[in-house]
Amino acid sequence: MQRPPIAIVALGVFASLAALIPIAYLLVRLSEGWESAALELTRPSTFQLLGNTVLLTIAVGLSALLVGFSQAWLTTRTNLPFTGFFAVLATLPLAFPSYVLALAFTTAFPGFQGFFASWLTLTIATAPYVFLAVSVALVRINVTNEEVARSLGAGRWRVIRDITWPQVRPAAFASLLLVVMYTLSEFGAVAILRYDTFTRAIYNAYRGSFDRTAAAALALVLVLITLLVLYFERRYRGSYTTVPQAMRRNRIDLGGARFFAAGFLVVIAVVAVLVPAGAITYWSVVGSSETNWSELLAALGSSLLVASAAGALIAVFAVAIAVWNLRFRSRWSGLVEDSVWVAHALPAVVVGLALVFLGANWLPNLYQTIWLLMFAYLILFLPNALSAMSTPIAQVPPSLEQVARSLGQSRNSTIVKVLLPAARSGLIAGAALAALAVLKELPATLLLHPTGMDTLATELWQATENLSYAKAAPYALALVIIAGVPALVLNQQARKLISEVASK
Amino acid sequence: MNIKTPIAVSLLSLLALTGCAPAETESTEAQSIVVYAGRSEELVQPLLDQFTQETGIEVEVRYAGSAELAAQILEEGENSPADVFFAQDAGALGAVAKAGLLVELPAEIYDLVPAAFSAADKKWVGVSGRVRVLSYNPEKVTELPASVFDLADPSWAGRIGIAPTNASFQAFVTAMRVLHGDEATSQWLAGIKANAVIFEKNTAILEAVETGEVDAGLINHYYWFARAKEMGAENMKSKIGQFGSQDVGNLINAAGVGIVEDSSAAQEFVKYLLSETGQRYFAEETREYPLVGDVAPADDLTPLSEIPSPQIDLSDLDALEQTLELIRAAGLL
Repeated sequence: MQRPPIAIVALGVFASLAALIPIAYLLVRLSEGWESAALELTRPSTFQLLGNTVLLTIAVGLSALLVGFSQAWLTTRTNLPFTGFFAVLATLPLAFPSYVLALAFTTAFPGFQGFFASWLTLTIATAPYVFLAVSVALVRINVTNEEVARSLGAGRWRVIRDITWPQVRPAAFASLLLVVMYTLSEFGAVAILRYDTFTRAIYNAYRGSFDRTAAAALALVLVLITLLVLYFERRYRGSYTTVPQAMRRNRIDLGGARFFAAGFLVVIAVVAVLVPAGAITYWSVVGSSETNWSELLAALGSSLLVASAAGALIAVFAVAIAVWNLRFRSRWSGLVEDSVWVAHALPAVVVGLALVFLGANWLPNLYQTIWLLMFAYLILFLPNALSAMSTPIAQVPPSLEQVARSLGQSRNSTIVKVLLPAARSGLIAGAALAALAVLKELPATLLLHPTGMDTLATELWQATENLSYAKAAPYALALVIIAGVPALVLNQQARKLISEVASK
Repeated sequence: MNIKTPIAVSLLSLLALTGCAPAETESTEAQSIVVYAGRSEELVQPLLDQFTQETGIEVEVRYAGSAELAAQILEEGENSPADVFFAQDAGALGAVAKAGLLVELPAEIYDLVPAAFSAADKKWVGVSGRVRVLSYNPEKVTELPASVFDLADPSWAGRIGIAPTNASFQAFVTAMRVLHGDEATSQWLAGIKANAVIFEKNTAILEAVETGEVDAGLINHYYWFARAKEMGAENMKSKIGQFGSQDVGNLINAAGVGIVEDSSAAQEFVKYLLSETGQRYFAEETREYPLVGDVAPADDLTPLSEIPSPQIDLSDLDALEQTLELIRAAGLL
């Protein structure tokens, strides 16, 4: 087994130590009051909230998987008309922060609340993760087996279930992990839609009683759940398949069923894109607040700055961890990858407060500067980039690197000159996904931003806190539009792959 | 001698330098303060700008929720960059004060505000008053209930909106405990649990009354005025009303301010909020009640003295733990 390059080890270890900071902080808080923690954990309501959370997480996970997979399969593998257009629509919900989706739905449909509302909203918010990951994987897998199975008389369903699915399963599971963690840590949308989840109990512990010990105890339960989810994901993920080369494929003729399929995609697009976009536009019509353009532009600038800087930074770390784990796999690399996931189900407010504690008391020079904010984003969103990068890097044929090595290239230059360019589209996708998440993030940004620097998300929060929907509208629209850019980039990367493959 | 003199000189100058440095930063610090504001930027920023214009003291503001800012100051501890904590409610100020992170206010500030609206330990003072009201849809509620206790009656099943996680609601429940005891409060909570539709915050309750989702809701008065300003008062479907005389449902609460890092600039800032200019600003712009001096509330508001509120001291409302226990026991948290 080859040793990984030193830079990769350094980046990976740094990232995993960073991710462990919130956990260490929670343990410190917990050690301050076992009694209050025990009391909090044994409340009947805690178990009820846990039950609610598990129910919602499973429901959202299943539906996001189903929706995202169907969208990906229909737009990459069938002769459906306008696949490019449908693919864009499938990515676009990524541009809406989930609390904005929730607000948009409640203003459009008064009484929209509870389990169903939360399930629908979070499915819309998370299905694009599955769509993107599965699209990329579907384009690259070997279709020979499918054709053989078809020629032997296997039905379409059976081919999908027995041949296609196992090949895309690692990619689908990596994105499903994101969906599950997203649902576990979500607060804004479920609070607006009035479905009580575990994260809400954490917020209430901070807000109602200012009891940081109780909040820490609850948050550690989420960490335990994360570990459990990670264990099962690793166990049932399957292994990545690599393709010697991308090959030409024929699009499957759906026949008359393609009208139903198109109808299905249209319905999803209307619910997931048209309704929320319409509701936000309506806000600007009914209210009277006027837009302060200079404020809007300043917030737009800050948002673009932090999102692009954080996206690039996170991508560097994610590349290192992905390459370490896929090309120089060892027990250590697995540990590093798992550790960066551990904090991902924590609500952002917990990570934010951990860094407030660290920053104010130990790193006063970095506290409330953009550097500590970047550090927070690294902890929060490294898994987003990692999940998008793993499939494309794994699918680069190792033979390419072996050739480069045999021609005398060093390990480092093989990675930089051969492996990374071959996985380029995946790396861009990873950076874009992280940047998207940063654009929409609110609680940690509020706690850690430099004083005086407002982003679109913080301004939007101010406006909705204040009932100024008309004031909120331009911020929401600006956010959706600029978040639409990475969303489109993501989609374009996927489409480009398809056309490359098709033209071969 | 030859050698010692330069050493002594350099030591002395070093001492002078280190001695000077803090003095210098202090004098520049006095011209700028950091305010952690749990109030809305749109509502208070113009007043803070005016303060800077009049005094030359720069104000850096961090806006966030009051509870989140309290948690932030608690985490920052002694190293908090905050000079002043301007909070939406007494609970957040109380939590920070209890951790020993607020300084005792000098008499010249503390004595400005009626004692009922400030902390007994002089760690914070009220700045502006807000009144608990019943927002209701006049088509569905033709006769206002005489008491907030009436809302526990089965005739209100599914018709009333509350926000149990909201600090103002919790303060009101604490007041109920102080005035009527835990037993009566528990009973009321059990009744309201059966009747109520639960919301996250006041704004959502008001929205639900407007859309007809619920018939009425327990909120603070100024949310109605904020919405009227945004949508136009003539477009409002809901009205606000009070319960009968002395009813705890009409509790008067306060937004307040405390000093984290004492300096003359921080004190000047607090005094400004309590000055006639500051109080008039809250009366006119946020539709809250002035607490200091003779500043009159906005025309469309019932004067504070005519609000049928119960007699209670806001410092008595700091026993939040027990209140939360009761709310939890009722299954509302």
